[in-house]
Amino acid sequence: MARNVRGEGRLDTGLVLVCVALAVLALLSPRRSRDEVAAVLRASVLSPLVQLEARASGVRAAIVARNDLLTTRGRAVADTLSLRAISDENATLRKLLGLSARLQDGFVPAEVLPSRGGDEFTINLTVGSNVGVQPFLPVVTADGLVGMVESVDQGSSSVIMWAHPDFRVSGMSVDQNAFGIVQPHLATGPERWLLEMRGVPFRAKLDSGTLIVSSGLGATYPRGIPVGTVIGELNTPEKWARTYLVKPAVLPENIGPVLVLMPGRSQRGVNGVWTSVAAADSAARAVAAAGDSVARAAALDELAARRAAFDSLLADSLAAGDTIGGGLGTRLPARLPMRADSVKRDSVRRDSVARRPTAGRN
Amino acid sequence: MRAQKSTSGVGSALRAWLGFSLLIVAQFGVRPLLAARASVDFAVIAVLFSAVRMRPGFAALTGFATGLALDALAPGSFGASALVLSLIAFGASWLKAVFFADHVALTGLFVFGAKWLFDVAMAMLTGVGSGASLLVALLLWAPLSAALTAVVAVLLLVLFRPLYRPQSL
Repeated sequence: MARNVRGEGRLDTGLVLVCVALAVLALLSPRRSRDEVAAVLRASVLSPLVQLEARASGVRAAIVARNDLLTTRGRAVADTLSLRAISDENATLRKLLGLSARLQDGFVPAEVLPSRGGDEFTINLTVGSNVGVQPFLPVVTADGLVGMVESVDQGSSSVIMWAHPDFRVSGMSVDQNAFGIVQPHLATGPERWLLEMRGVPFRAKLDSGTLIVSSGLGATYPRGIPVGTVIGELNTPEKWARTYLVKPAVLPENIGPVLVLMPGRSQRGVNGVWTSVAAADSAARAVAAAGDSVARAAALDELAARRAAFDSLLADSLAAGDTIGGGLGTRLPARLPMRADSVKRDSVRRDSVARRPTAGRN
Repeated sequence: MRAQKSTSGVGSALRAWLGFSLLIVAQFGVRPLLAARASVDFAVIAVLFSAVRMRPGFAALTGFATGLALDALAPGSFGASALVLSLIAFGASWLKAVFFADHVALTGLFVFGAKWLFDVAMAMLTGVGSGASLLVALLLWAPLSAALTAVVAVLLLVLFRPLYRPQSL
């Protein structure tokens, strides 16, 4: 029994020594030999395991690739959104820069502080009395009027926007034909974010699209700041004056960086600062009107010329009939020496055409 | 009586080899899916679970074959896994026969120690890393991997007791 146990012990020792010897031999053998043996093992007995591992690695790679794809897609969407926001901000800042250059001096640039969840018609600015901001100063952007400073702290100020129930500005059409008071349109729903121009004289009718600017009446807003454009007329009980619905020049979502016009700048006026807007509107109207008058004049001239040419031809033909012997009632020659378009019947008045046979009979 | 004992022995051996095969398949089919710095080593569990049922010599042979399979898929260190797993399997079989009873916690500790020893020996033999990175690998990632392997081994032992119950072949 003891001999048997001793024999088994020797067998175990022998086996482990063989295993260790073979492993050390494999470890110390040249790389080429190791690779060859490994390749033979992979191609034979380990082939199923190699395939299994390859498949598992493929699944793992697919999962990682899917995660990468989702991450990349999410990043692309985020980049696109931020790019659009940056582009919008860039455009706003460029416009504000242009406005600053036109104003030259007498303004304070300010950023709008994030909303603190209070009144949605009031915004807070990052400038205050430390830079000279006072109550009742106008706040503008490159698009037009935003509102008016209501209260001022040391480093910030509160501004009522045009949608605030207390907001009023004296407005006029750019051609200065109509004056009125612009105030918030106190309706419900989306129309709450519109303005109305009240007290416009009944004789002053405004077309939709007419630009409304501040008139400069009153001490707060200088003349010429765009306030909005006319959308249409409102029916009101007031029969002696008209009320117009006005789309604001500065939409709430576009209020970013703003300028506070200082008292000196307001007193000097802002004529020419928003010229591009006002002038573009009036220039467009002028061009349209000029185009109409020129076309009208050209048409009248052409009509007069045709009449004159036709009358002279008629006189010539009558004279020819008398002298050659054709006598009265002779027909006009088949080919008249005149341009084809000059006898276009629809452009000549009917009574002038009808004169020929009458003259012939006479 | 002797025939019944023989049938039971064959069944036990079959179950043992089935459990071993499943763990080897998991090593190549499941482990790549859980690729991480600290991952479960099913091959070590397979060698240990089979070693405690075998004579030390055969356990060493099983460890050698398993290690050779691992080395064949990573030829850069061909022979290292075979050497380390042979010794671990031999030691496990010998220690189990001498000290351990059928105790789950002790088995977990046993697997933890074996796996950590395996990682340390492999790091020394293959010479991967040096300095701080080697220390981090041996003192952080290797224990974590060993702990994870031990937890899985204990779970397997509890959930699949007929397959992995220590019983002499």
